[in-house]
Amino acid sequence: MDAGAATQPLPVTDSSRAHALASGELVREARGGDLDAFEELVRRLQRRVYGFAFQHLRDPHEAHDLTQEIFVKLYRNLGRYDAGRPFEPWFWTLATNTTINYRRKRVPLPSEPGEEAADPGTTPQAHDPALVEALAQLDPSYRVPVLLHYYADLSLEQVAAALSLSVPAVKSRLHRARGVLRNSLADAEELGRP
Amino acid sequence: MITCARVRVLLEAYVDGDMAAADAARVRAHLSTCADCRRQHDQAISLPFRLRALSSPAPRPSLVGEVMQAVGAERAGYSSSWTLLVPETVLAAFILWYLSGLDGLSSIASGVFGDLLSLGSGSLPHVPPVDVVLLVALIALMVVAAFHLSILVRLTPRVAHE
Repeated sequence: MDAGAATQPLPVTDSSRAHALASGELVREARGGDLDAFEELVRRLQRRVYGFAFQHLRDPHEAHDLTQEIFVKLYRNLGRYDAGRPFEPWFWTLATNTTINYRRKRVPLPSEPGEEAADPGTTPQAHDPALVEALAQLDPSYRVPVLLHYYADLSLEQVAAALSLSVPAVKSRLHRARGVLRNSLADAEELGRP
Repeated sequence: MITCARVRVLLEAYVDGDMAAADAARVRAHLSTCADCRRQHDQAISLPFRLRALSSPAPRPSLVGEVMQAVGAERAGYSSSWTLLVPETVLAAFILWYLSGLDGLSSIASGVFGDLLSLGSGSLPHVPPVDVVLLVALIALMVVAAFHLSILVRLTPRVAHE
């Protein structure tokens, strides 16, 4: 998948030229210092990046902060991106590392309630709460590949590149993660049964 | 004969088709006789679809603006960091001027050279202490400025700027 394949065009931009560019072209323009191109790139990626952050943190405020941090890091590191390679795996590597570091720095695990835990009143209701809960209990080393593959829609090869793993290792983690999720869902179903 | 526990470990690989044909046949045979494992198998099939269908709230409308504001601050910080080179350059120019430019420097160098030559005969160097201090300060300043410059140059490709 290249930069243009999986990004979602969203309306509104102050530069019609940037709006008309394909994502790969946007990245090149942004690298050259075109802020309109960078802004358009952020617009196109924001939903998936925010969703990724939200599924990790389950707190809209923290997810907002993390999303912002990911985009600022993207801006800082644009010059390191090799334009001859696909943008998405490179970008998701950066997003994943930023997420892991962010968690380490600021946020307790969802299973460890602390002072910074999300206020249930401000957390939107998930449409599949059992799965969201099971996902939150998953070890980050398993949750990250799951989110990258099924949520951010990266191919197995791209997940492997983003996490510096082999494709069989990614497959193995996905199998393991899905097995754990399936067991958690079965347990939740048992508990919910009258 | 394959056990339920073994089948449940293999279900995801079975669903994805990442399994040797003989193992897959054993799992299939077990599923045809075990209702509990069939339920787990159904879960294993539906899980990737449920994961893909996970929804998240939309980001705040202000997100893009806030990102661009943060990026603008980065750019301003980066530009202003170049101005730190100004005092270093001014100080270096002042010291050079005080040392009377290249003539002064060459006279110090020749003086030091001459003194070094005369070391063998037992006499001590006669360079004015202020000049030596200033020369050392100049070298230190140049090292700091070069280090500073190298950081800025390293940052240049990372931060796009007009």
